[in-house]
Amino acid sequence: MEDLRNRSHADVDYRKLAAPIKSAVDKFQLVPEFLKVRGLVKQHLDSFNYFANTEIKKIVRANDKIVSSVDPNLYVRFKDVRIGNPTEALEGIVEDLSPQKCRLTDKTYAAPVLVDVEYTKGSHGGYSLLEKNDVTIARMPIMLRSCCCVLFRKDEDELARLGECPLDPGGYFVIKGTEKVILIQEQLSKNRIIIDTDKKGNINASVTSSTEATKSKTVVVMEKGKMYLQLNQFAKNIPIMIVMKAMGMESDQEVVQMIGRDPRYSALLLQSIEECASLSIFTQQQALEFLEGKLKKLPYANMSTGKEGRAMSILRDVFLANVRVIKNNFRPKCIYVAVMLRRMMEAILNKDAMDDKDYVGNKRLELSGQLISLLFEDLFKTMISEVQKQADNVLSKRSRSSQLDLSMLLVKDIITQGLERALSTGNWDVKRFRMHRKGMTQVLARLSFIGTLGHVTRISPQFEKSRKVSGPRALQPSQWGMLCPCDTPEGEACGLVKNLALMTHVTTDQEEGPLIALCYCLGVEDLELLSGEELHTPNSFLIIFNGLILGKHRRPQRFANTMRKLRRIGRIGEFVSVFVNEKQWCVYIASDGGRVCRPLVIADKGISRIKEHHMKGLLDGARTFDDFLREGLVEYLDVNEENNALIALYEQDATPETTHIEIEPFTILGVCAGLIPFPHHNQSPRNTYQCAMGKQAMGNIAYNQLLRMDTLLYLLVYPQRPLLTTRTIELTGYDKLGAGQNATVAVMSYSGYDIEDAIVMNKSSLDRGFGRCIVMKKYSAVNQKYENGTSDRILRPPRKDDRNKKGENPDWERMQILDNDGIAAPGEIIRPNDVYINKESPIITKGNPKLGGLKDSDYKPSRQTFKGAEGESCVVDRVTLSSDKNYNLSIKFMIRHTRRPEVGDKFSSRHGQKGVCGTIVQQEDFPFSERGICPDLIMNPHGFPSRMTVGKMIELLGGKAGVSCGRFHYGSAFGEPSGHADRVEAISETLVKHGFSYNGKDFLYSGITGCPLQAYIFMGPIYYQKLKHMVLDKMHARGSGPRVMLTRQPTEGRARNGGLRVGEMERDCLIAYGASMLIYERLMLSSDPFEVQVCRACGLLGYYNYKLKTGICSSCKNGDNISTMKLPYACKLLIQELQSMNIVPRLRLADS
Amino acid sequence: MEGGGGASYQRFPVVKVRETKDDYLKFELRGTDASVANALRRVMIAEVPTIAIDLVEIEVNSSVLNDEFIAHRLGLVPLTSDRAMSMRFSRDCDACDGDGQCEFCSVEFHLRAKCMTDQTLDVTSKDLISSDHTVVPVDFSDALADDSAEQKGITIVKLRRGQELRLRAIARKGIGKDHAKWSPAATVTFMYEPEIHINEDLVETLSLEEKQSWVESSPTKVFDINPNTEQVLVVDPEAYTYDEEVIKKAEAMGKPGLVEIYAKEDSFIFTVESTGAIKASQLVLNAIDVLKQKLDAVRLSEDTVEADDQFGELGAHMRGG
Repeated sequence: MEDLRNRSHADVDYRKLAAPIKSAVDKFQLVPEFLKVRGLVKQHLDSFNYFANTEIKKIVRANDKIVSSVDPNLYVRFKDVRIGNPTEALEGIVEDLSPQKCRLTDKTYAAPVLVDVEYTKGSHGGYSLLEKNDVTIARMPIMLRSCCCVLFRKDEDELARLGECPLDPGGYFVIKGTEKVILIQEQLSKNRIIIDTDKKGNINASVTSSTEATKSKTVVVMEKGKMYLQLNQFAKNIPIMIVMKAMGMESDQEVVQMIGRDPRYSALLLQSIEECASLSIFTQQQALEFLEGKLKKLPYANMSTGKEGRAMSILRDVFLANVRVIKNNFRPKCIYVAVMLRRMMEAILNKDAMDDKDYVGNKRLELSGQLISLLFEDLFKTMISEVQKQADNVLSKRSRSSQLDLSMLLVKDIITQGLERALSTGNWDVKRFRMHRKGMTQVLARLSFIGTLGHVTRISPQFEKSRKVSGPRALQPSQWGMLCPCDTPEGEACGLVKNLALMTHVTTDQEEGPLIALCYCLGVEDLELLSGEELHTPNSFLIIFNGLILGKHRRPQRFANTMRKLRRIGRIGEFVSVFVNEKQWCVYIASDGGRVCRPLVIADKGISRIKEHHMKGLLDGARTFDDFLREGLVEYLDVNEENNALIALYEQDATPETTHIEIEPFTILGVCAGLIPFPHHNQSPRNTYQCAMGKQAMGNIAYNQLLRMDTLLYLLVYPQRPLLTTRTIELTGYDKLGAGQNATVAVMSYSGYDIEDAIVMNKSSLDRGFGRCIVMKKYSAVNQKYENGTSDRILRPPRKDDRNKKGENPDWERMQILDNDGIAAPGEIIRPNDVYINKESPIITKGNPKLGGLKDSDYKPSRQTFKGAEGESCVVDRVTLSSDKNYNLSIKFMIRHTRRPEVGDKFSSRHGQKGVCGTIVQQEDFPFSERGICPDLIMNPHGFPSRMTVGKMIELLGGKAGVSCGRFHYGSAFGEPSGHADRVEAISETLVKHGFSYNGKDFLYSGITGCPLQAYIFMGPIYYQKLKHMVLDKMHARGSGPRVMLTRQPTEGRARNGGLRVGEMERDCLIAYGASMLIYERLMLSSDPFEVQVCRACGLLGYYNYKLKTGICSSCKNGDNISTMKLPYACKLLIQELQSMNIVPRLRLADS
Repeated sequence: MEGGGGASYQRFPVVKVRETKDDYLKFELRGTDASVANALRRVMIAEVPTIAIDLVEIEVNSSVLNDEFIAHRLGLVPLTSDRAMSMRFSRDCDACDGDGQCEFCSVEFHLRAKCMTDQTLDVTSKDLISSDHTVVPVDFSDALADDSAEQKGITIVKLRRGQELRLRAIARKGIGKDHAKWSPAATVTFMYEPEIHINEDLVETLSLEEKQSWVESSPTKVFDINPNTEQVLVVDPEAYTYDEEVIKKAEAMGKPGLVEIYAKEDSFIFTVESTGAIKASQLVLNAIDVLKQKLDAVRLSEDTVEADDQFGELGAHMRGG
């Protein structure tokens, strides 16, 4: 009976699944609303805003006084700090900066850091207290679109006026004219106990402590049944019991109690206790003495650290630095150690209790704001000490006739330059934390719009990439919804470099004090009031706040629920996470920065809190995403708290236990993967490939693309919006800045030039503009000023009828495109070897300036000539004149080249299916249907079976239905149940309605014979991307050409018109084949043949005397036994180099 | 059969025009085979000459589109090319030594546009001023019913206040093989005429519902049911797309042989749509002319290579192929 009922229940479920969805509230609209509020790069902006508004104030407040050590009455105190508007002061004139202006003129987009100071002035007797407001101490590079940026909250019109693209996400900096992104850094979370195994397989518990003052790593390790402490300051492992005793826990019993009375734990601890006893250490004093003996010797032998000794201070300040010792109360630290030990022992008894380092909940993402604040803090402190030193210098030296004004010493160069250098090189050197990180910033990829977005959401790992481990590279179940499962590079960084998912948010720090107070109010029993015994009584949970043990609570679930309720009504920050860990008997509360979290819809007993009227309010604009948050309909969950939630994918799947409902399943993908239609029908690596290729696709870059001066710019002449779109495409703006074209593709074999993924293209389509692209390249010239006051000059070019003194005019033809100012004119056609700037440099640039000015003869021409592909004509698109950072005149040329696709250009669909153009065929030879449809390109069907890109087939079907019915079809990931992707059945119906076969196949005629083709051809539109790899940039051949001076062998590489090397392996093949003459010809005659005079007597090389017309041996001093032979020049070089090292190679010649 | 030497394969194709408009023509071609039909199609696409802009000299261009971009767009504007058959290719024009600037082989166009108002100005093909009133940008205004007072041409570029475009363009004669802009055909396609035989006896064994579902299985409306007699009728055999859906359906219904469909190997239904450069009917006639010339060239040039040269224009066709 029971069984039957269950079955019938299942039946009902099945029918429910098959039924069309109408009941559930469509929550999709929340996604665009979320992105409107938070933006695609909101994590960067939030982080920077937090720094600019809060963190910088904290830093300055913590170091607010500069006191002269010579005269302590002289001081400067910073009262307030803020970041001003982005401006630049040039010769006293303050000018507003805009990002576009900075990009064009190679400036840094920065704003002054203003402080209000209060300082004393005077000497001995009389001091006066003065105040100064708005003192600039530094120029802070400003993140675009952050709260300090001029673009903040600007609408489309205003942005356009500032020369900015409204779709540009911001989140990067402009440093010396280049756009720099600070990559999101992934790290293991700080101040948390992590149980892991080391290389030897020993279980250890490690804590990376990080406070404002210090950073340290504490490891407790289990070795041979005994537990030890590993700390950098100690030379050897320290038995943990000694550490406990040193901290005042002299009683072994208390330690056991603190760890818990379970006999298994005591048993595990026994050996450690015995070891401690065998070392006869029983008191705190003995323990400290023992530790003192194990300390690492400091390089400088200054051992006096006060009366308490170094061991004590290390235990207090370095050992578990995150647990503060207040008034020498070591008890919290002892409890912390006890908890560490307990967690370790749990892990020993039960392997499941081990922590996973790769678990996303154990990771923190460091964003630009945090990184900049780290740097700023260090530089600020450096500046303070510098000012102090300077003041002391002045005060001690001078007889102080004039009064020292400390506020005048607040130099701004240290901070400004430090920040600028770090951002432009990407090297983060913070000496106090021994931090030397490289490659933190990258030049923002501007190859395609999607590439830019993908670059800003990229997460770079902290591990070195060479490690051949699979753990950190594998897909983590916990990254669901937080990090994109598709978007990762191939090759060495595979799985290490990740990308954020669409709805991910990264938290910033939140004030701890009020939260701690709140916890105590909610019934947390203070740690101080608990005995060791009480710590682990059953049914009581430890409350751990940001890695700090606050105390315990007897009703953890109730406590957690209350906290969450407070969060939902907005009494505490929305990003505070509350996580009840049943296994560890702990409640973790986190408010620290760098946690990844995402919004979810709250459900009560499986019923979504969001009702129809809420969504209606949203659509009408009466509500925003923040209202949803405030009303407790939606909340942010971080990875840890997700473990306490039961999240239903769709409302109809919810059960009474469900606590949350996903907003939209496609948001688990990132920006790049969001372009793929029907990605859930593809083999997963294909999606990963497309994520990499989407970044190379040509199209539009930004609305201001033609105003920008990028070094390399690839644009499509007729970019299109994909016929088959996804919701992500609409959200990111890819439909406005597309990078591809909808091509009618026939999947068939044709001409044999389509093997290995090559595609056959229709010549008429190319004539009409398919795949046509514009390549723009920047060339720049600087009108250099020199130290002797001379400078380059730009001259009017010689014209056709001009003659110089000798009556010649050799160069006028190469300078036809120049204007009278000597600079190429925009709109002129420029050919290889044309001069684009007729510049001359002074011959003498050093020493004293020449009197009476320079004559024409004092200059040498330093014209710059254009080097492009032979036979191609480019056009000078734009010329800009600006001053560079050294106030020289800098002239930039954008040179444009329009290209139509040719054989060998690379194309790709959105499904990781790349291919080169194999051949171009006349339209009349192309197959056609009786409707007159003729494909734009033909793709070989062999591309499908092994790649299994079913999504591409559905894209074709959907595209075909789309063009016939005139509605853009959708293919969002996992979108079928929620209506964000069209179903194949529906598409087929549309096709049939418009007279096509339901399966997308057409009856085609051969264009060559006019006969029907033997098979029905799968034909329809697929969005194709043109990738930036084009043969024109790559093809290379050389007959004879330049040689390397040293070896006289041909140069290497296309850029130097180099030769193609017959390498070692090629040579081996030729040897094996016995093609001796070929080897001789390739390796010597075509490379570096050289005629040498060899002395048969001594075997050394001689020389040829042109006067006597004989060869002479320089060691035998005669020409009697000279033979002439051919040798590779490299061999002659080797012989001579060996001779210079006192090795004599002799050649023994024999008749052949 | 008749004649002296080898067997003659001479056939007498028949053309029957079904529907004709300025830019649309539908005709039947019977009594010939696929090679001839296809040759006609290919010639229409690739070898019927038209006139298109080939050289653009830009004087001022301050628009958002770059020079090549505008030149490319101008090239694709269809020009009325009734003169094309009698015009010379500029490469073998004696009058101007092939530089393509004389009246026998080229037509000059001027375009001057400047936006003086705050409203965006659309520069269209109507702004192209021709030096020859017979060669002008194709006018589509009467093709589309005159719903709006002012019919616009093909948009070339849009200008905003202060932007200007001034250029001189030379249009030349060419063929679609060289560049698609010279192709007069928007669509040229043909199909085999289907021959549909319904097995009436077998159909009668079907119920009305079955008939209905069978008729509806065809994605195009080929069959219908006479509401009175409940007989299945072939309404429009040419709507049949050789998709074999009806045959598959019949098999699925357990009635194979319900219908038999053949393609008549010797009759074709052509659909020709022109770009407007020449009338669709003229396109077909020109194509036949070109085809004939090509055949003549083949026939006459059997003996000598030099014979090629005397055909002038035609020689070029053959060299191009």
